[in-house]
Amino acid sequence: MAAPTAGRLAALGRRLAAPARAWLPGLTQVRWSRYDPSYLEPEVNKELYRKPLEELSEEEKMQQELKALQPIKATPSNVTSSVFSDPTISKFTNMMMKGGNKVLARSIVTQTLETIKRKQIEKYHQASEEERESIECNPYIIFHQALKNCQPIIGLCNIQKGGKTYQVPSPLKDNRKRFLAMKWLITECREHKHHRTFMHEKLSQELLQAFNNEGPVIKRKHDMHKMAEANRAYAHYRWW
Amino acid sequence: MLRSVKGVICQGPKLDSGYFLHASARAWLSAAVNQDAQIPAEKPRAVFRTNESNPANHAEQHEGQHYSIPLQEVKVVFPHGLPYRFQMQMKTFNESCLMVRKPALELLGYLKSTNLAHPAIRYVIYGEKGTGKTMTLCHAIHYCAKQDWLVLHIPDAHVWVKNCRELMQSSYNKERFDQPLEASTWLKNFKTSNDHFLKEIKTQQTYMWSKRESTEKGRPLGEVVEQGLTRVKNASDAVGVVLKELKQQCPLGAFRLLVAVDGINALWGQTTLRKKDKSAVSPEELTLVHNLRKMVVNDWNGGAIVTTLSQTGSLFKPRSAYLPHELLGKEGFDTLDPFIPIRVSNYSQREFESCYQYYLDRKWLQHDRARTEEGRKELLFLSNSNPWQLERISAYL
Repeated sequence: MAAPTAGRLAALGRRLAAPARAWLPGLTQVRWSRYDPSYLEPEVNKELYRKPLEELSEEEKMQQELKALQPIKATPSNVTSSVFSDPTISKFTNMMMKGGNKVLARSIVTQTLETIKRKQIEKYHQASEEERESIECNPYIIFHQALKNCQPIIGLCNIQKGGKTYQVPSPLKDNRKRFLAMKWLITECREHKHHRTFMHEKLSQELLQAFNNEGPVIKRKHDMHKMAEANRAYAHYRWW
Repeated sequence: MLRSVKGVICQGPKLDSGYFLHASARAWLSAAVNQDAQIPAEKPRAVFRTNESNPANHAEQHEGQHYSIPLQEVKVVFPHGLPYRFQMQMKTFNESCLMVRKPALELLGYLKSTNLAHPAIRYVIYGEKGTGKTMTLCHAIHYCAKQDWLVLHIPDAHVWVKNCRELMQSSYNKERFDQPLEASTWLKNFKTSNDHFLKEIKTQQTYMWSKRESTEKGRPLGEVVEQGLTRVKNASDAVGVVLKELKQQCPLGAFRLLVAVDGINALWGQTTLRKKDKSAVSPEELTLVHNLRKMVVNDWNGGAIVTTLSQTGSLFKPRSAYLPHELLGKEGFDTLDPFIPIRVSNYSQREFESCYQYYLDRKWLQHDRARTEEGRKELLFLSNSNPWQLERISAYL
């Protein structure tokens, strides 16, 4: 969190030296903010504030001075200084959310983590001594590893050439990979499972399967890779 | 008034003589214990655990420590009555551990010095939501079961006043309503925990169930229970008969009776049940509630009545209500008065630390930050040392 903030702040610093213009002729803002560009991002990490003065580098000292003088944006309500907060889990909760019902989405995600933990701990207590080391009980590690296993390496994009649309293999950005993994997981649980089972039960099953590199979401990722391999011939249609 | 009642209990003699049901009855508990594989002796004793598994020997030095009940014993002593989340925890950890706390020790002290010649004393365990009232009740029940009392445990009285699928008019009294399903489930669980007593206690009068079926005088009480289980239509009346017989025979001294009711405020509240003409059913029009109310009055001796107030399952009561006056209402309070109130509150520093260490030991707190000092402080803050809240938070960490 500190490194990108430092980079952004350095860029901001440079921009502040020159006259700040939020508008240029010929450029329309897609995402814009009511905040003035001089406003700084809030820093929620308590560890950074506890560092004594000697450990701070020159850049960090400059940042501290800047924070004392410049105004700071308000923290969004989904950002906490809790030691247990996880940006991936927050992103997943937001993707699960329907109609702004964050309470329900969050409860489903916490119940999923609990179900995964219960299943693994039960397995752990019933296993023999040698098997116990291989059983992973931490639901967060399982969650992250499962998502990583579901991320596709290469994706397809539609390119129109000569009146026909071709599926061309192309690299994916990190954000896009993470989004696709989460989206596939959620869609799989919503659509292809029995509608009377609870979502947390379905999700926990899917996550445990993905952790072991099996299950329908991993299959969908492999299908995507196979399509990309099959359409290799059109790879030169991409110009970026 | 309360102080004089307390004085009476403290002066009462310790229980010793005349309980012929002891020898045969205690055999089943020890047999159940021997079947279960005990924890090996070489395991190092942690600060938050104690090896003392008999509640009779729990004293102030065990405060804050967890003691485990063998799973076989749990199946017999608690066929119903443990909270759902505790049952899930038992299944996950493969063991059942209860924390010894001050209110429970206080209650056990009173129970140890009960004077069986005096009328049964009523104890009301109250406190805010999630502080451990039901677990305190379960601790007392375990103690009484080990000491060979007949435990009449109603796990949740609220279940009897809401969500009833079959409400039938009672054959015994036209004004009242029967609940066959709830009555038969209760009878089944009652049979599991008190099988040996049911063979020895004999009925004192003849009961006619229908033109052809009846239970003669002098038959074991187990037959009444069987009748209630086989003919589900008569289950509520069977429950009434069981309660009446136990209340009549307890003063004679053959056995000691513990009436344990969880959520006693249900008996004097409102119900969500409706009659055929959509008018509300009041609690005294239900056979089960009517009979239980008679049981909770202190006109019998030879045992004790331990009850819990509960807002969690209650109907038409705000969440912030926890005091006896608020939950029982005027009628309930007047019926239960005089009673001994036992307040259960959130964990103290020591108890919180013990619970935290127990979860760490059982690998329940898996988040790597949960082991740090920061994590511990955050858990303390988020749960406010409330046992229920702490359990729910550590479930997903």
